[in-house]
Amino acid sequence: MRKNLFAKGAAAAAVAALALTACGSDGSGDDDGAAGGPITWMATLHTPVTPDEDGPIQTALEKHTGEDFKVQWVPAASSAEKLNAALSSGALADMVSMAPVDSSTVRQSLTSGMFWDVEPYLKDFPNLAEIDPQTLDAARLDGKLYGVPFQKIKARYGVVVRQDWLDHLGLEVPHTIEDLEKVAVAFTKDDPDGNGKDDTTGFIDREESFDLGFRSLSGYFGAGDDFEVDDAGQVRSTLDGDAFKQAMEWYRGVYEQGAVNQEFVTMQKTNQQDAIARGKGGIVVTGLFEAKGYLALAQDADPETPMKWALVNDMTSGDVPRRILTDTAGGLGGWLSFPKSEVKDEAELQRVLGFADKLLDEEAFGLMTNGVEGTHYSQDADGVVTIEDQTAWEQEVQPYSSSRLSEKVVTYKSTEPYVDEGNEKMLENEQYAVVNPTQSLSSEAYDRQWTTVHDAAKDAYNKYVVGQIEMADYEAAIEKLRGQGLGDIEQELTAAYAEVNG
Amino acid sequence: MSAVTAAKTAAPTTPTTSGGGVPARPRRKRVPALWKHKALYLMAVPGILYFILFKYAPMGGLVIAFQDYLPFLGIGGSPWVGFDHFVRFFSEDTFYVLLRNTLMISLGMLIFAFPVPVILALLLNEVRTKWFQRSIQSVVYLPHFLSWVIVVSIFYVLLTTDGGSVNNLLVSWGFDPVPFLTDPDWLRPMYIFQEIWKGAGWGTIVYLAAMTAVDVQLYEASELDGAGRMRQAWHITLPAIRPTIIVMFILAIGDFLELGFEHMFLVMNSLNRDVADIFDTYVYTAGIENGQLSYAAAVGLFKGLVGLVLVVFANRLAKRFGEEGVY
Repeated sequence: MRKNLFAKGAAAAAVAALALTACGSDGSGDDDGAAGGPITWMATLHTPVTPDEDGPIQTALEKHTGEDFKVQWVPAASSAEKLNAALSSGALADMVSMAPVDSSTVRQSLTSGMFWDVEPYLKDFPNLAEIDPQTLDAARLDGKLYGVPFQKIKARYGVVVRQDWLDHLGLEVPHTIEDLEKVAVAFTKDDPDGNGKDDTTGFIDREESFDLGFRSLSGYFGAGDDFEVDDAGQVRSTLDGDAFKQAMEWYRGVYEQGAVNQEFVTMQKTNQQDAIARGKGGIVVTGLFEAKGYLALAQDADPETPMKWALVNDMTSGDVPRRILTDTAGGLGGWLSFPKSEVKDEAELQRVLGFADKLLDEEAFGLMTNGVEGTHYSQDADGVVTIEDQTAWEQEVQPYSSSRLSEKVVTYKSTEPYVDEGNEKMLENEQYAVVNPTQSLSSEAYDRQWTTVHDAAKDAYNKYVVGQIEMADYEAAIEKLRGQGLGDIEQELTAAYAEVNG
Repeated sequence: MSAVTAAKTAAPTTPTTSGGGVPARPRRKRVPALWKHKALYLMAVPGILYFILFKYAPMGGLVIAFQDYLPFLGIGGSPWVGFDHFVRFFSEDTFYVLLRNTLMISLGMLIFAFPVPVILALLLNEVRTKWFQRSIQSVVYLPHFLSWVIVVSIFYVLLTTDGGSVNNLLVSWGFDPVPFLTDPDWLRPMYIFQEIWKGAGWGTIVYLAAMTAVDVQLYEASELDGAGRMRQAWHITLPAIRPTIIVMFILAIGDFLELGFEHMFLVMNSLNRDVADIFDTYVYTAGIENGQLSYAAAVGLFKGLVGLVLVVFANRLAKRFGEEGVY
């Protein structure tokens, strides 16, 4: 019942906005005043705290953009449900953050014709005109751009290794898969923390191994990002490609030597961080920005912690040239989309796009990244940013940082250890990034079946690594999935690929 | 009401609709009776409204089980597909896996978990020191107030092979670590044990209440005849609470396919999914994660119907054996 009221309210607001913006453009030709009522924004919340509507960041952003806006925060965990509910009740906002990128709900909604194709308008706005072309490519669905892409760094992953453990054992930082295995085993067997107990392991992996950690490792072996296109133009899943299987065999070997935490299949992210902070393991395949967090956690527990990290972004295997799988779908974090039901005409679209464009200004980016100078952070003569009030930053600024339309407007220098190094190495990664060649193609079978196929493959992978099944069983499982949708997906994508590139 | 909540609430509400008909009475007498007890009926209005608004109205959303429902097209705009989703569901292998898993765990619950509160209540009833009985009662109630997330987390910390207390103990005694959390064979025992740990204490309330109603004279008489405590429990207390046990049993049968999503979802992982995936978790993965709302609604509807049939059946059975039943 409340939703109806809300829908009516939103509709009324939209009508009012329409009338008023129309007036604005008739009159002075300047329609960016706050005349049209606040812009509403359905944004994803990745932090536990919802920021205050009159908080310093929102106030400052309103001042900078010259627009009133209201954010409806949707917790990331329930975003799919909320999106479904909002779509079916028509209770959408002027701007809707659409993520995750591979969600079939998101993709189906975007291509349903409910949202504006924004591509023709981008060139009119200074920041929107400069979006990375590879990211734009990734963001198009069937050749149309149904929203402003959230830009991320294309490949943030790498391998982080406990430098102090390496030093203690007299080992070098590993840059090849072969050395990585040796280090992992040494971390397991040779008591790298010197406490005389057999209580350490190499890799600390977690439940999402198949989606994150191992996936990134498989890239070093030459596996593609979900799909590959062969010389004949056939689209094939990487799931039973040779490189992927080789990576699985390697990882199982490491697991059998005890050099991966044995119950990674049940380990959640926070448990993983906790295990790393307590020195249970010394190798993590993760975003290169994570080392700072691990150190902070370890220091919380023990201010004297000897923890030091080596950040490796150039891992290679055999004669496979350096490469890294994108962990952000080619720098795409989602879409900021504008429903036609709320944004009624081009004038209104210009207004919300103008607002989005201003959010990409350095000043707005700074507000959403660091907060207000003097309140949340300080900056010295070299441009080094120090967060002064961590609690205030977490409550007032951090929620906005995941709603930034781009992560890479400015790279701030930091006094925090590993931040500058991580940023630098992630940028180095960009030129080696491997992106799924079929990402912007659409396939009905993909939308309908991919999640099921993916989940089943993930189960088979987990069973293989812990030794419940053998490689032949894994291959059989993937072959079975071919009959249950994966085959259709490959066929449809091959056809779509030929149409676009042929 | 959104489609999602409709799909979710559809199943749990279905069994409760089996309220049975009002006994037929001569028509002319009904209106005066209604008027005579108007105050009582007035008091029932909020409850009736609650059921209409939050239980019956959302059932309208069940029609999406017969459509290819897409949120942006709405119920009005989505194409009708008849029984396609049901046909698909019954012809997939998953159906048998889900049915087997659900039945196995439900059976385990009935056999192992159902009697525990009865036994616990009998034991508590025999405790003569009042303050001791009270404190034990409070302690066994407590787990009921913990959410499943907490219960499963506690068990995770205890049972994990990566440094969990139970496995540390096993290893120090010279045994091999047991992968309780990931071994498919351990899933059912662990699940049922957790259910007992959390729910058994709370379940005793009903039985303890029934026991207070037992006539004290019966105990006194039996004592004169030389009955011991065991005999009293067997021949007086248990028969006295039999109707309560039967009602609870019928309710448990009604929930036979209704294991509850949250608990299973939390203990399930890649390695035990083969035995852990039940209707409730499948509805979630198919509906919410994969966006097949209509299909999930069909599965949920099927589950609800089976629950309804089971309740009616169990109730008939109870009546045949001369008991009261729930309606």
